[in-house]
Amino acid sequence: MRTNTYYDSAQTRRPLLTEFANFWSYRGLLRLLVTRDLTVRYKRSILGVWWTLLNPLLTTAVLWLIFGKLFGDRFATEGEPYVLYLLAGVLLMTFFSQGMLSTGAAITNASGILSKVYVPAEVFSLSTAVAAGVNLVIGLVPLVIIQVTSGVGVPWTVALVPIPALAMLALVTGLGLLVASAAVYFYDILDITRVLVQLVYYLTPVFWPISIAGRFEPWVKASPLFSYVDVFRDVAYRGVIPPLWELAMIVVSSMLFLALGVWVFSKGWKNLVGSL
Amino acid sequence: MNEVPVQVADVSLAYRLARNRAGTFKEFAIQMLRRQVTIEKLWAVQHASFEVKRGEVFALIGPNGAGKTTLMKVVARVLPPTDGRVIVRGSLAPMISLGAGFNPELTGYENIVLYGTLLGRDPRDMRESAARIADWAGLTDFMDVPVRSYSSGMLARLGFSIASDIDPDVLVVDEVLAVGDEAFQHKSFDRMMAMMNSGTAVLLVTHQLDKVLEMADRVLWLDKGRVRMIGEPEEVVGLYRESVG
Repeated sequence: MRTNTYYDSAQTRRPLLTEFANFWSYRGLLRLLVTRDLTVRYKRSILGVWWTLLNPLLTTAVLWLIFGKLFGDRFATEGEPYVLYLLAGVLLMTFFSQGMLSTGAAITNASGILSKVYVPAEVFSLSTAVAAGVNLVIGLVPLVIIQVTSGVGVPWTVALVPIPALAMLALVTGLGLLVASAAVYFYDILDITRVLVQLVYYLTPVFWPISIAGRFEPWVKASPLFSYVDVFRDVAYRGVIPPLWELAMIVVSSMLFLALGVWVFSKGWKNLVGSL
Repeated sequence: MNEVPVQVADVSLAYRLARNRAGTFKEFAIQMLRRQVTIEKLWAVQHASFEVKRGEVFALIGPNGAGKTTLMKVVARVLPPTDGRVIVRGSLAPMISLGAGFNPELTGYENIVLYGTLLGRDPRDMRESAARIADWAGLTDFMDVPVRSYSSGMLARLGFSIASDIDPDVLVVDEVLAVGDEAFQHKSFDRMMAMMNSGTAVLLVTHQLDKVLEMADRVLWLDKGRVRMIGEPEEVVGLYRESVG
Protein backbone atom coordinates (compact mmCIF):
# COMPACT_ATOMS: atom_id res chain seq x y z
CA MET A 1 0.00 0.00 0.00
CA ARG A 2 0.97 3.57 -0.51
CA THR A 3 2.50 4.82 2.69
CA ASN A 4 0.88 8.22 2.50
CA THR A 5 -2.87 7.76 2.40
CA TYR A 6 -3.84 11.30 3.16
CA TYR A 7 -4.24 13.81 0.37
CA ASP A 8 -4.78 17.49 1.00
CA SER A 9 -4.66 19.66 -2.11
CA ALA A 10 -3.88 22.68 0.04
CA GLN A 11 -0.56 21.24 1.12
CA THR A 12 2.09 23.52 -0.29
CA ARG A 13 4.47 22.08 -2.81
CA ARG A 14 8.10 22.66 -1.98
CA PRO A 15 10.10 22.84 -5.19
CA LEU A 16 12.99 20.33 -5.17
CA LEU A 17 12.02 18.80 -1.81
CA THR A 18 8.69 17.45 -3.09
CA GLU A 19 10.28 15.99 -6.22
CA PHE A 20 13.16 14.29 -4.44
CA ALA A 21 10.78 12.89 -1.83
CA ASN A 22 8.67 11.50 -4.70
CA PHE A 23 11.73 9.92 -6.34
CA TRP A 24 12.38 8.10 -3.10
CA SER A 25 8.87 6.98 -2.26
CA TYR A 26 8.22 5.81 -5.82
CA ARG A 27 11.51 3.88 -6.14
CA GLY A 28 9.64 0.60 -6.64
CA LEU A 29 7.81 2.01 -9.64
CA LEU A 30 11.03 3.62 -10.83
CA ARG A 31 12.75 0.25 -10.99
CA LEU A 32 9.83 -1.27 -12.94
CA LEU A 33 9.79 1.61 -15.41
CA VAL A 34 13.54 1.35 -16.00
CA THR A 35 13.27 -2.39 -16.74
CA ARG A 36 10.29 -1.71 -19.00
CA ASP A 37 12.26 0.94 -20.89
CA LEU A 38 15.21 -1.39 -21.36
CA THR A 39 13.28 -4.48 -22.40
CA VAL A 40 10.19 -3.31 -24.29
CA ARG A 41 12.18 -1.52 -26.98
CA TYR A 42 13.69 -4.81 -28.14
CA LYS A 43 10.73 -7.10 -27.42
CA ARG A 44 10.12 -7.94 -31.04
CA SER A 45 13.71 -8.33 -32.16
CA ILE A 46 15.92 -11.36 -32.68
CA LEU A 47 18.87 -10.15 -30.64
CA GLY A 48 16.71 -8.61 -27.90
CA VAL A 49 18.51 -6.73 -25.16
CA TRP A 50 21.86 -7.57 -26.78
CA TRP A 51 21.17 -4.51 -28.89
CA THR A 52 22.04 -2.35 -25.88
CA LEU A 53 25.51 -3.84 -26.16
CA LEU A 54 25.67 -3.79 -29.95
CA ASN A 55 24.47 -0.23 -30.56
CA PRO A 56 27.50 1.65 -29.18
CA LEU A 57 29.84 -0.97 -30.67
CA LEU A 58 28.36 -0.55 -34.15
CA THR A 59 28.47 3.26 -33.91
CA THR A 60 32.07 3.01 -32.79
CA ALA A 61 32.91 0.62 -35.62
CA VAL A 62 31.48 2.98 -38.23
CA LEU A 63 33.27 6.02 -36.82
CA TRP A 64 36.49 4.03 -36.54
CA LEU A 65 36.25 2.98 -40.19
CA ILE A 66 35.69 6.53 -41.38
CA PHE A 67 37.85 8.60 -39.08
CA GLY A 68 40.39 6.00 -38.03
CA LYS A 69 41.01 4.38 -41.41
CA LEU A 70 39.60 6.45 -44.27
CA PHE A 71 41.11 9.73 -43.08
CA GLY A 72 44.41 8.07 -42.27
CA ASP A 73 46.11 9.53 -39.23
CA ARG A 74 44.48 12.96 -39.26
CA PHE A 75 42.35 11.98 -36.27
CA ALA A 76 45.08 10.01 -34.54
CA THR A 77 45.16 10.40 -30.79
CA GLU A 78 48.51 10.82 -29.08
CA GLY A 79 49.53 8.21 -26.54
CA GLU A 80 46.23 6.30 -26.49
CA PRO A 81 44.50 3.85 -28.87
CA TYR A 82 41.96 5.61 -31.09
CA VAL A 83 39.41 2.81 -30.59
CA LEU A 84 39.35 3.35 -26.83
CA TYR A 85 39.13 7.10 -27.25
CA LEU A 86 36.23 6.61 -29.62
CA LEU A 87 34.29 4.01 -27.66
CA ALA A 88 34.58 5.91 -24.38
CA GLY A 89 33.38 9.11 -26.08
CA VAL A 90 30.52 7.36 -27.86
CA LEU A 91 29.36 5.64 -24.67
CA LEU A 92 29.16 8.80 -22.60
CA MET A 93 27.70 10.99 -25.34
CA THR A 94 25.09 8.34 -26.19
CA PHE A 95 24.05 8.52 -22.55
CA PHE A 96 23.64 12.25 -23.06
CA SER A 97 21.90 12.32 -26.43
CA GLN A 98 19.62 9.29 -26.00
CA GLY A 99 18.91 10.28 -22.43
CA MET A 100 17.96 13.83 -23.45
CA LEU A 101 15.56 12.64 -26.14
CA SER A 102 13.85 9.91 -24.11
CA THR A 103 13.66 12.02 -20.96
CA GLY A 104 12.34 14.99 -22.92
CA ALA A 105 9.54 12.83 -24.32
CA ALA A 106 8.86 10.94 -21.08
CA ILE A 107 5.99 13.04 -19.76
CA THR A 108 4.11 13.39 -23.06
CA ASN A 109 4.58 9.66 -23.69
CA ALA A 110 3.05 8.87 -20.31
CA SER A 111 0.05 11.17 -20.84
CA GLY A 112 -2.32 8.18 -21.06
CA ILE A 113 -1.37 7.19 -17.52
CA LEU A 114 -0.85 10.65 -16.05
CA SER A 115 -4.31 11.87 -17.05
CA LYS A 116 -6.02 8.92 -15.38
CA VAL A 117 -4.03 7.87 -12.36
CA TYR A 118 -2.13 9.97 -9.87
CA VAL A 119 1.58 9.32 -10.34
CA PRO A 120 4.19 12.08 -9.94
CA ALA A 121 5.16 12.92 -13.52
CA GLU A 122 8.80 13.51 -12.59
CA VAL A 123 9.19 9.79 -11.85
CA PHE A 124 8.77 9.04 -15.57
CA SER A 125 11.50 11.52 -16.48
CA LEU A 126 13.92 10.09 -13.94
CA SER A 127 13.24 6.53 -15.12
CA THR A 128 14.21 7.27 -18.74
CA ALA A 129 17.38 9.06 -17.61
CA VAL A 130 18.31 6.09 -15.41
CA ALA A 131 17.63 3.69 -18.31
CA ALA A 132 20.10 5.65 -20.46
CA GLY A 133 22.58 5.36 -17.59
CA VAL A 134 22.12 1.59 -17.40
CA ASN A 135 23.03 1.44 -21.08
CA LEU A 136 26.30 3.16 -20.22
CA VAL A 137 27.04 0.63 -17.49
CA ILE A 138 26.39 -2.23 -19.93
CA GLY A 139 28.67 -0.53 -22.46
CA LEU A 140 31.51 -0.58 -19.95
CA VAL A 141 31.86 -4.33 -20.53
CA PRO A 142 33.19 -4.12 -24.12
CA LEU A 143 35.26 -1.08 -23.10
CA VAL A 144 37.04 -3.09 -20.42
CA ILE A 145 37.45 -6.03 -22.82
CA ILE A 146 39.18 -3.78 -25.36
CA GLN A 147 41.34 -2.29 -22.61
CA VAL A 148 42.52 -5.75 -21.61
CA THR A 149 43.04 -7.11 -25.12
CA SER A 150 44.80 -4.00 -26.41
CA GLY A 151 47.29 -4.14 -23.54
CA VAL A 152 46.24 -0.80 -22.05
CA GLY A 153 44.97 -2.54 -18.95
CA VAL A 154 42.39 -1.47 -16.41
CA PRO A 155 43.64 1.29 -14.11
CA TRP A 156 42.46 1.66 -10.49
CA THR A 157 40.84 4.97 -11.42
CA VAL A 158 38.06 2.94 -13.03
CA ALA A 159 36.56 2.95 -9.55
CA LEU A 160 35.92 6.67 -10.07
CA VAL A 161 33.69 6.13 -13.13
CA PRO A 162 30.56 6.73 -10.98
CA ILE A 163 31.61 10.40 -10.67
CA PRO A 164 31.16 11.37 -14.36
CA ALA A 165 28.34 8.82 -14.73
CA LEU A 166 26.27 10.19 -11.84
CA ALA A 167 27.01 13.77 -12.87
CA MET A 168 25.72 12.92 -16.35
CA LEU A 169 22.62 11.33 -14.81
CA ALA A 170 21.89 14.55 -12.91
CA LEU A 171 22.51 16.66 -16.01
CA VAL A 172 20.26 14.53 -18.21
CA THR A 173 17.51 14.43 -15.58
CA GLY A 174 17.59 18.21 -15.11
CA LEU A 175 17.81 19.21 -18.76
CA GLY A 176 15.36 16.44 -19.69
CA LEU A 177 12.75 17.68 -17.20
CA LEU A 178 13.16 21.15 -18.64
CA VAL A 179 12.48 19.83 -22.14
CA ALA A 180 9.69 17.52 -20.95
CA SER A 181 7.85 20.36 -19.20
CA ALA A 182 8.00 22.50 -22.33
CA ALA A 183 7.07 19.60 -24.63
CA VAL A 184 3.69 19.37 -22.91
CA TYR A 185 2.78 22.72 -24.45
CA PHE A 186 4.77 22.61 -27.68
CA TYR A 187 5.40 19.37 -29.50
CA ASP A 188 8.17 20.71 -31.71
CA ILE A 189 10.37 21.35 -28.67
CA LEU A 190 11.42 17.72 -29.10
CA ASP A 191 12.48 18.32 -32.71
CA ILE A 192 14.42 21.40 -31.68
CA THR A 193 16.05 19.35 -28.91
CA ARG A 194 17.06 16.65 -31.37
CA VAL A 195 18.90 19.20 -33.51
CA LEU A 196 20.57 20.86 -30.53
CA VAL A 197 21.67 17.52 -29.08
CA GLN A 198 23.22 16.56 -32.40
CA LEU A 199 25.01 19.89 -32.57
CA VAL A 200 26.42 19.41 -29.08
CA TYR A 201 27.50 15.88 -30.03
CA TYR A 202 29.60 17.15 -32.92
CA LEU A 203 31.01 20.09 -30.98
CA THR A 204 32.24 17.74 -28.26
CA PRO A 205 35.43 15.79 -28.99
CA VAL A 206 33.83 12.36 -29.40
CA PHE A 207 35.58 11.15 -32.55
CA TRP A 208 38.04 14.00 -33.07
CA PRO A 209 41.01 14.73 -30.80
CA ILE A 210 41.06 18.08 -29.01
CA SER A 211 44.35 18.97 -30.75
CA ILE A 212 42.42 19.36 -34.02
CA ALA A 213 40.45 22.31 -32.64
CA GLY A 214 43.47 24.64 -32.92
CA ARG A 215 42.61 28.17 -31.86
CA PHE A 216 39.05 27.10 -30.99
CA GLU A 217 40.38 24.84 -28.24
CA PRO A 218 39.40 27.23 -25.39
CA TRP A 219 35.86 27.38 -26.78
CA VAL A 220 35.54 23.62 -26.99
CA LYS A 221 36.77 23.32 -23.42
CA ALA A 222 34.30 25.97 -22.27
CA SER A 223 31.43 23.57 -22.99
CA PRO A 224 30.63 21.56 -19.86
CA LEU A 225 30.26 18.41 -21.97
CA PHE A 226 33.95 18.50 -22.84
CA SER A 227 34.70 18.03 -19.15
CA TYR A 228 32.27 15.11 -18.76
CA VAL A 229 33.86 13.24 -21.66
CA ASP A 230 37.41 14.07 -20.65
CA VAL A 231 36.89 13.12 -17.01
CA PHE A 232 35.28 9.86 -18.13
CA ARG A 233 38.25 9.01 -20.38
CA ASP A 234 40.73 9.95 -17.66
CA VAL A 235 39.27 7.58 -15.11
CA ALA A 236 38.02 4.82 -17.43
CA TYR A 237 41.22 3.95 -19.26
CA ARG A 238 43.91 6.65 -19.05
CA GLY A 239 44.40 6.03 -15.34
CA VAL A 240 44.79 9.73 -14.65
CA ILE A 241 43.25 11.82 -11.89
CA PRO A 242 41.20 14.42 -13.80
CA PRO A 243 42.16 18.10 -13.48
CA LEU A 244 40.37 19.88 -10.67
CA TRP A 245 38.71 22.45 -12.95
CA GLU A 246 37.09 19.70 -15.00
CA LEU A 247 35.78 17.99 -11.88
CA ALA A 248 34.44 21.31 -10.63
CA MET A 249 32.86 21.90 -14.01
CA ILE A 250 30.91 18.63 -14.04
CA VAL A 251 29.85 18.81 -10.41
CA VAL A 252 28.68 22.43 -10.61
CA SER A 253 26.99 22.15 -14.01
CA SER A 254 25.17 18.91 -13.16
CA MET A 255 23.84 20.23 -9.85
CA LEU A 256 22.90 23.55 -11.43
CA PHE A 257 20.95 22.02 -14.31
CA LEU A 258 19.33 19.41 -12.08
CA ALA A 259 18.10 22.11 -9.72
CA LEU A 260 16.99 24.33 -12.60
CA GLY A 261 15.10 21.54 -14.37
CA VAL A 262 13.34 20.32 -11.25
CA TRP A 263 12.52 23.87 -10.18
CA VAL A 264 11.00 24.83 -13.53
CA PHE A 265 9.04 21.57 -13.59
CA SER A 266 7.77 22.24 -10.08
CA LYS A 267 6.64 25.76 -10.98
CA GLY A 268 4.68 24.55 -14.00
CA TRP A 269 3.43 21.39 -12.33
CA LYS A 270 -0.05 22.65 -11.47
CA ASN A 271 -1.09 23.08 -15.10
CA LEU A 272 0.89 20.15 -16.43
CA VAL A 273 -1.59 17.26 -16.42
CA GLY A 274 -4.52 19.48 -17.46
CA SER A 275 -2.53 20.48 -20.54
CA LEU A 276 -1.55 16.99 -21.65
CA MET B 1 -11.58 5.61 11.01
CA ASN B 2 -12.77 8.98 9.85
CA GLU B 3 -16.40 9.28 8.88
CA VAL B 4 -15.82 11.70 6.00
CA PRO B 5 -13.15 10.31 3.66
CA VAL B 6 -13.81 12.81 0.87
CA GLN B 7 -14.17 16.53 1.39
CA VAL B 8 -14.46 18.89 -1.56
CA ALA B 9 -14.65 22.54 -0.56
CA ASP B 10 -15.42 25.27 -3.09
CA VAL B 11 -13.35 23.58 -5.78
CA SER B 12 -12.84 25.17 -9.19
CA LEU B 13 -10.71 23.89 -11.99
CA ALA B 14 -9.57 25.82 -15.03
CA TYR B 15 -7.85 24.44 -18.08
CA ARG B 16 -5.45 27.02 -19.40
CA LEU B 17 -5.87 27.62 -23.09
CA ALA B 18 -3.83 30.03 -25.10
CA ARG B 19 -6.03 31.94 -27.51
CA ASN B 20 -4.85 31.14 -31.04
CA ARG B 21 -3.41 28.17 -29.27
CA ALA B 22 -0.09 27.56 -30.86
CA GLY B 23 0.69 23.85 -31.10
CA THR B 24 4.31 24.44 -31.82
CA PHE B 25 6.96 26.54 -30.24
CA LYS B 26 7.69 28.24 -33.56
CA GLU B 27 4.11 29.50 -33.90
CA PHE B 28 4.13 30.54 -30.27
CA ALA B 29 7.31 32.55 -30.72
CA ILE B 30 5.87 34.30 -33.76
CA GLN B 31 2.62 35.10 -31.98
CA MET B 32 4.51 36.28 -28.95
CA LEU B 33 6.42 38.76 -31.07
CA ARG B 34 3.15 40.00 -32.52
CA ARG B 35 1.69 40.16 -29.00
CA GLN B 36 -1.20 37.90 -29.95
CA VAL B 37 -0.90 35.48 -27.07
CA THR B 38 -3.51 35.64 -24.39
CA ILE B 39 -3.86 32.82 -21.92
CA GLU B 40 -7.52 32.05 -21.44
CA LYS B 41 -8.96 30.05 -18.61
CA LEU B 42 -11.63 27.55 -19.43
CA TRP B 43 -13.50 26.79 -16.23
CA ALA B 44 -14.49 23.12 -16.29
CA VAL B 45 -15.72 23.09 -12.68
CA GLN B 46 -16.74 26.08 -10.58
CA HIS B 47 -17.32 26.30 -6.83
CA ALA B 48 -18.20 22.69 -6.25
CA SER B 49 -18.58 21.58 -2.64
CA PHE B 50 -19.62 18.20 -1.30
CA GLU B 51 -18.64 15.44 1.08
CA VAL B 52 -18.79 11.68 0.77
CA LYS B 53 -19.23 9.70 3.96
CA ARG B 54 -18.00 6.21 4.75
CA GLY B 55 -20.02 3.54 2.99
CA GLU B 56 -21.90 6.11 0.98
CA VAL B 57 -22.44 5.92 -2.76
CA PHE B 58 -22.32 9.39 -4.21
CA ALA B 59 -23.24 9.73 -7.88
CA LEU B 60 -22.44 12.54 -10.29
CA ILE B 61 -24.86 13.06 -13.14
CA GLY B 62 -25.16 15.65 -15.85
CA PRO B 63 -24.94 16.09 -19.61
CA ASN B 64 -21.75 15.52 -21.59
CA GLY B 65 -19.20 18.24 -21.00
CA ALA B 66 -20.66 19.18 -17.62
CA GLY B 67 -17.34 18.58 -15.90
CA LYS B 68 -18.14 15.27 -14.21
CA THR B 69 -14.95 13.50 -15.23
CA THR B 70 -12.89 16.59 -14.43
CA LEU B 71 -14.37 16.72 -10.95
CA MET B 72 -13.61 13.01 -10.48
CA LYS B 73 -10.03 13.56 -11.52
CA VAL B 74 -9.70 16.39 -9.02
CA VAL B 75 -10.83 14.04 -6.26
CA ALA B 76 -8.54 11.27 -7.58
CA ARG B 77 -5.58 13.69 -7.28
CA VAL B 78 -4.92 13.55 -11.01
CA LEU B 79 -5.71 17.25 -11.49
CA PRO B 80 -4.79 19.74 -8.76
CA PRO B 81 -7.67 22.17 -8.15
CA THR B 82 -7.17 25.72 -9.39
CA ASP B 83 -9.09 27.05 -6.39
CA GLY B 84 -10.61 25.45 -3.33
CA ARG B 85 -9.49 22.43 -1.42
CA VAL B 86 -9.79 18.66 -1.66
CA ILE B 87 -9.07 16.29 1.21
CA VAL B 88 -9.06 12.52 0.81
CA ARG B 89 -8.46 10.43 3.90
CA GLY B 90 -7.33 6.88 3.31
CA SER B 91 -6.45 4.90 0.22
CA LEU B 92 -8.13 5.71 -3.08
CA ALA B 93 -8.69 3.34 -6.00
CA PRO B 94 -9.38 5.12 -9.28
CA MET B 95 -11.38 3.27 -11.92
CA ILE B 96 -11.10 5.74 -14.73
CA SER B 97 -10.50 4.24 -18.19
CA LEU B 98 -9.37 0.89 -16.88
CA GLY B 99 -6.15 -0.42 -18.28
CA ALA B 100 -4.93 2.97 -19.48
CA GLY B 101 -1.53 2.11 -18.09
CA PHE B 102 -1.17 -1.24 -19.83
CA ASN B 103 1.81 -1.75 -22.05
CA PRO B 104 0.85 -3.85 -25.10
CA GLU B 105 4.27 -5.50 -25.40
CA LEU B 106 4.35 -6.71 -21.80
CA THR B 107 2.69 -9.94 -20.69
CA GLY B 108 -0.45 -10.09 -18.59
CA TYR B 109 1.59 -10.88 -15.49
CA GLU B 110 4.03 -8.03 -16.10
CA ASN B 111 1.14 -5.64 -16.64
CA ILE B 112 -0.52 -6.68 -13.38
CA VAL B 113 2.65 -5.77 -11.51
CA LEU B 114 3.19 -2.52 -13.44
CA TYR B 115 -0.42 -1.31 -13.30
CA GLY B 116 -0.78 -2.17 -9.62
CA THR B 117 2.43 -0.28 -8.87
CA LEU B 118 1.14 2.71 -10.85
CA LEU B 119 -1.91 2.61 -8.59
CA GLY B 120 0.41 3.01 -5.64
CA ARG B 121 0.90 -0.56 -4.49
CA ASP B 122 4.18 -2.23 -3.67
CA PRO B 123 5.65 -4.27 -6.61
CA ARG B 124 6.52 -7.17 -4.28
CA ASP B 125 2.97 -7.16 -2.99
CA MET B 126 1.70 -7.19 -6.59
CA ARG B 127 3.81 -10.22 -7.54
CA GLU B 128 2.20 -12.12 -4.70
CA SER B 129 -1.31 -11.01 -5.65
CA ALA B 130 -0.88 -11.59 -9.39
CA ALA B 131 -2.20 -15.16 -9.41
CA ARG B 132 -5.31 -14.16 -7.45
CA ILE B 133 -5.96 -11.18 -9.75
CA ALA B 134 -5.54 -13.27 -12.90
CA ASP B 135 -7.81 -15.95 -11.51
CA TRP B 136 -10.56 -13.48 -10.65
CA ALA B 137 -10.41 -12.01 -14.15
CA GLY B 138 -10.53 -15.54 -15.59
CA LEU B 139 -7.25 -14.97 -17.40
CA THR B 140 -4.89 -17.41 -15.67
CA ASP B 141 -4.07 -19.13 -18.97
CA PHE B 142 -3.11 -15.84 -20.62
CA MET B 143 -0.60 -14.57 -18.08
CA ASP B 144 2.48 -15.20 -20.26
CA VAL B 145 0.96 -13.66 -23.38
CA PRO B 146 1.60 -10.02 -24.35
CA VAL B 147 -1.60 -8.05 -23.75
CA ARG B 148 -1.59 -6.74 -27.33
CA SER B 149 -3.20 -10.06 -28.23
CA TYR B 150 -5.97 -9.60 -25.64
CA SER B 151 -9.48 -8.67 -26.72
CA SER B 152 -10.93 -5.41 -25.41
CA GLY B 153 -13.15 -7.39 -23.05
CA MET B 154 -10.16 -9.23 -21.63
CA LEU B 155 -8.31 -5.96 -21.12
CA ALA B 156 -11.25 -4.43 -19.28
CA ARG B 157 -11.60 -7.51 -17.08
CA LEU B 158 -7.93 -7.46 -16.18
CA GLY B 159 -8.08 -3.72 -15.48
CA PHE B 160 -11.08 -4.07 -13.20
CA SER B 161 -9.58 -7.04 -11.40
CA ILE B 162 -6.35 -5.17 -10.64
CA ALA B 163 -8.05 -1.94 -9.59
CA SER B 164 -10.55 -3.69 -7.35
CA ASP B 165 -8.09 -6.11 -5.76
CA ILE B 166 -7.52 -3.90 -2.74
CA ASP B 167 -10.14 -2.80 -0.28
CA PRO B 168 -9.88 0.97 -0.71
CA ASP B 169 -11.30 3.64 1.59
CA VAL B 170 -12.45 5.59 -1.46
CA LEU B 171 -13.46 4.18 -4.81
CA VAL B 172 -13.76 6.48 -7.81
CA VAL B 173 -15.70 4.91 -10.68
CA ASP B 174 -16.13 6.51 -14.08
CA GLU B 175 -18.47 4.64 -16.44
CA VAL B 176 -17.00 1.22 -15.85
CA LEU B 177 -20.21 -0.46 -14.75
CA ALA B 178 -20.50 -2.13 -18.12
CA VAL B 179 -17.27 -4.11 -18.28
CA GLY B 180 -16.99 -7.45 -20.05
CA ASP B 181 -19.77 -9.91 -20.74
CA GLU B 182 -22.99 -10.43 -18.79
CA ALA B 183 -21.45 -12.87 -16.30
CA PHE B 184 -18.50 -10.64 -15.59
CA GLN B 185 -20.75 -7.59 -15.20
CA HIS B 186 -22.62 -9.39 -12.43
CA LYS B 187 -19.40 -10.46 -10.83
CA SER B 188 -17.90 -6.96 -10.87
CA PHE B 189 -21.15 -5.42 -9.67
CA ASP B 190 -21.19 -7.80 -6.72
CA ARG B 191 -17.63 -6.98 -5.88
CA MET B 192 -18.38 -3.27 -5.88
CA MET B 193 -21.41 -3.80 -3.70
CA ALA B 194 -19.29 -5.80 -1.26
CA MET B 195 -16.81 -2.93 -1.10
CA MET B 196 -19.56 -0.43 -0.40
CA ASN B 197 -20.97 -2.60 2.35
CA SER B 198 -17.55 -2.83 3.97
CA GLY B 199 -17.45 0.95 4.36
CA THR B 200 -15.81 2.14 1.15
CA ALA B 201 -16.95 5.58 0.06
CA VAL B 202 -17.89 5.46 -3.62
CA LEU B 203 -17.87 8.30 -6.08
CA LEU B 204 -19.69 7.26 -9.21
CA VAL B 205 -20.03 8.88 -12.61
CA THR B 206 -22.48 7.35 -15.03
CA HIS B 207 -25.11 8.09 -17.62
CA GLN B 208 -27.12 5.01 -16.63
CA LEU B 209 -29.73 6.72 -14.48
CA ASP B 210 -31.35 3.40 -13.54
CA LYS B 211 -28.08 2.32 -11.96
CA VAL B 212 -27.96 5.63 -10.10
CA LEU B 213 -31.43 5.07 -8.64
CA GLU B 214 -30.48 1.52 -7.73
CA MET B 215 -27.12 2.19 -6.09
CA ALA B 216 -26.71 5.81 -5.06
CA ASP B 217 -27.42 7.27 -1.62
CA ARG B 218 -27.05 10.84 -2.80
CA VAL B 219 -26.74 12.45 -6.22
CA LEU B 220 -25.01 15.58 -7.45
CA TRP B 221 -26.28 17.16 -10.65
CA LEU B 222 -23.56 19.03 -12.47
CA ASP B 223 -24.38 21.42 -15.28
CA LYS B 224 -21.84 23.51 -17.21
CA GLY B 225 -19.32 23.07 -14.42
CA ARG B 226 -21.69 24.24 -11.68
CA VAL B 227 -23.56 22.26 -9.07
CA ARG B 228 -27.28 22.41 -9.91
CA MET B 229 -28.37 20.42 -6.89
CA ILE B 230 -27.40 17.74 -4.40
CA GLY B 231 -29.99 15.47 -2.87
CA GLU B 232 -31.97 12.25 -2.78
CA PRO B 233 -31.61 10.12 -5.95
CA GLU B 234 -35.34 10.07 -6.82
CA GLU B 235 -35.66 13.82 -6.54
CA VAL B 236 -32.48 14.80 -8.39
CA VAL B 237 -32.78 12.20 -11.13
CA GLY B 238 -36.45 13.13 -11.59
CA LEU B 239 -35.70 16.82 -12.03
CA TYR B 240 -32.73 16.04 -14.25
CA ARG B 241 -34.90 13.86 -16.49
CA GLU B 242 -37.46 16.64 -16.72
CA SER B 243 -34.83 19.19 -17.76
CA VAL B 244 -33.44 16.89 -20.42
CA GLY B 245 -36.97 16.29 -21.65
